[in-house]
Amino acid sequence: MTAVQVTWLREVRAFRGAVSCCVPVAAFLAVSGWTFVMLLRHHEGSVLQVQSIWGISVAPWLPILSAVLTMRLFAEERSTGMIDLLMASPIRERDLVVGKFLSAMTVIGIAVALSLLVPMVVLPALSAPVRGSVRAVAFAVTFLILFLQASAWCAAGTMVSAFFRNQAAAAVSSLVLCSGLPVAVYAVILAWVPSVRMEMAWMPLLVHVYDFSTGLFSTAVIALYATLTVFFLFGCSKVVACLRLRG
Amino acid sequence: MLEIDHITFSYGNRKVLDDVTFDVAPGEIVAVTGANGAGKTTLLRVLACLLMQDSGTVRLDSVDPLARPIKYRRGIGYLSEHCPLYSEMTVEEYLTYRVRLKGERNVRVRRRVSETLEQCGLEDSHRTRVRLLSLGYRKRLGLADALVMHPKLLLLDDPLAGLDVPQRKKIACVLTAASARAAVVLAGHEIREMLEWCTRFVVLHRGRVTALYRVNDYNRADLARLLELQIASGNDGEEGR
Repeated sequence: MTAVQVTWLREVRAFRGAVSCCVPVAAFLAVSGWTFVMLLRHHEGSVLQVQSIWGISVAPWLPILSAVLTMRLFAEERSTGMIDLLMASPIRERDLVVGKFLSAMTVIGIAVALSLLVPMVVLPALSAPVRGSVRAVAFAVTFLILFLQASAWCAAGTMVSAFFRNQAAAAVSSLVLCSGLPVAVYAVILAWVPSVRMEMAWMPLLVHVYDFSTGLFSTAVIALYATLTVFFLFGCSKVVACLRLRG
Repeated sequence: MLEIDHITFSYGNRKVLDDVTFDVAPGEIVAVTGANGAGKTTLLRVLACLLMQDSGTVRLDSVDPLARPIKYRRGIGYLSEHCPLYSEMTVEEYLTYRVRLKGERNVRVRRRVSETLEQCGLEDSHRTRVRLLSLGYRKRLGLADALVMHPKLLLLDDPLAGLDVPQRKKIACVLTAASARAAVVLAGHEIREMLEWCTRFVVLHRGRVTALYRVNDYNRADLARLLELQIASGNDGEEGR
């Protein structure tokens, strides 16, 4: 087994059954399910398709789930001192970072997949034409963009976690970076240039989800999230390496 | 085997290690001692690649940790002062995880783990959760972790602290056995116990090596008194600062 696999396995086991994992995932499922039902009611008779509603109901909660799941990845190691043993082991920082990141992504992937249960339960209650228009591949593509967004939030959360010994501080900082910052930038743009409101009625992050769910595939968007993920993971491995300088 | 050459390290403006130089031959057990704040833990952390020295070099069998960090770290086993462990794992799970993380091939993992559990007297508690272990057993597990890959160099930070006499004797037995194939550098204050099995003493005072003693060259009782006096004078100095 490689160091990445070993780290991934250990972190997934640590997530399994941990209150800090089960409670956020349960809350995420409850709140995204509730959002889905509300949006479905609100958009009854509109052109919005079921997979788009699902995607839009899940996407806003992903940064919060990512922040809570990733907060312990490095902060806990630093507070317990386990980081010393890991860094004295013959493994590269990036293997450690990737293993931890993948474990959080595994949990998030499962959580997003579980959030599909609500549309599946609601679907039989919908009218025949709506049911007939639902395609599995459309859900798969929506899942892809949600997963891509989650990977960027997760990578950011992993990096932020490496800065702190306190998990709560790591979670709040991740939230500010992943959720607060994009919303603030969006609000500032709208306030500064009100004419943009016509083109940017929704936040770009939600627009990406909507576009993908309707089949509007964009390699630029994929590249954006992949770049963000790689950037944050690279940053994280450098932060971990710098712990050797600071002591 | 281990060459420490003019190591200097500072936390900001405060010099914690100042021109530390000594070497360690295979089979030696070298005790680094000194008053609190003398720089013992910092020295071990530099040797374990957890801190990067400001100047000077460290070489383990000619391998420089700054140039070839993975190869260097493959040659060391490190026991931290507070002995951190994953509390939700069992003893065997923890050791298996650490062996795999250190890159051992799957076919050898089980053998390595069972050998080391036996060597450290942990075979009866291999299914015990780490959080249920006493401090003595936690230290033994930490030591097992350091020993498990048969490193060339063992770095042990205060391995005897907080242990009762039987646990100290057990740790001493394990270390003496381990020194047959590894050099050992350990930090601690338990002079009289360490005199029983250490081959050399390095005394640090305010980050500088103030004395080096080869145990065989002295009467043990005299050396114990001398070392305790030096540590006490270091402590006085610390209080006076």
